[in-house]
Amino acid sequence: MNREILQKVRQFFFPPLNKGFFVRIFVIAIGAYLFFSYVCLPLQIRGSSMEPTYGSRGINFCWQLRYLFSKPKRHDVVVVRFAGNKVMLLKRVVALEGERVEFRNGKLFVNGNPLEERYVRHPCHWNLSPRTVDDQCVYVIGDNRSMPIENHYFGQASMERIMGGPLW
Amino acid sequence: MVKMKYLIAAFLIVVVAISAALLFFPSEERKVKRRFALFSDYVSKDSKENTITMASKIKRITALFSEHCNFMISDHSLSGNYTREDISGMALRGRAYFSTLDLKFYDLKVSLPEKDLARVNVTARLSGQSVDGERVDETRELMCLLKKVEKNWLFSSLEVIEVLRK
Repeated sequence: MNREILQKVRQFFFPPLNKGFFVRIFVIAIGAYLFFSYVCLPLQIRGSSMEPTYGSRGINFCWQLRYLFSKPKRHDVVVVRFAGNKVMLLKRVVALEGERVEFRNGKLFVNGNPLEERYVRHPCHWNLSPRTVDDQCVYVIGDNRSMPIENHYFGQASMERIMGGPLW
Repeated sequence: MVKMKYLIAAFLIVVVAISAALLFFPSEERKVKRRFALFSDYVSKDSKENTITMASKIKRITALFSEHCNFMISDHSLSGNYTREDISGMALRGRAYFSTLDLKFYDLKVSLPEKDLARVNVTARLSGQSVDGERVDETRELMCLLKKVEKNWLFSSLEVIEVLRK
């Protein structure tokens, strides 16, 4: 009995190098390539713009099917294509198309109403005059607002550039 | 067996012929990509660069641009129409700011919408160290237009794509 189990374990980890084995390897390799290139992109987070929600040097995946049948909602964290196919931005949606956004002494207002943002831990004193989000766009900002407003990269992003959302 | 030998020889000849054709008669797309490789090479700088190399590179950078080139780089308030002389001065000042500089282009998408005009969507990564020791590492998506003038593809427009607009 023990010998049988041992043999099965050995066969699982060291299968015979026959045609079936190579076909399986080939199918898995192609499947993994397609999955990690077009469905679930691996990401390495650099920078502190989304702290404390996502720390620098963290690893995540961009789930590209997230917005296949729906649009991003307010407070969703989205992956925005920044340059080419490899550089992405991780930001949070705070306003949707047609809405008016502004900062008053560090508080974010959407359509004149203050927005409850539990994910923001660092207080800020940002001021930004009101602006309306264009059609087919969303307004995105990072969670970390401890830096001066000029040093934080945020704003209106076209829906075409929304690649998906982080897997976790 | 003899047949096999001829087959392999024929295959090798075809491969060499195709490679030679690609090398000596490059497509317009390859020629455009080559301009980006040259641009990257001329902009890049190491800490040991001497004055002669610098002058030569500035001259070569300038030669990559058409007589008038349109820049749209809102991040650095560099928007407008610039002559080759302006570009030469900007390249000189820009390069002098850095002790080391490296410009790389990725994901080049070349389209030829009309004769003697190429539209290129590309990712540019500029990294280096300023003379003050400050590290710089910037990546941007660019939209470039190149015009073919006397068999040379020259940059005629360069726009930094604004992904997030405050």
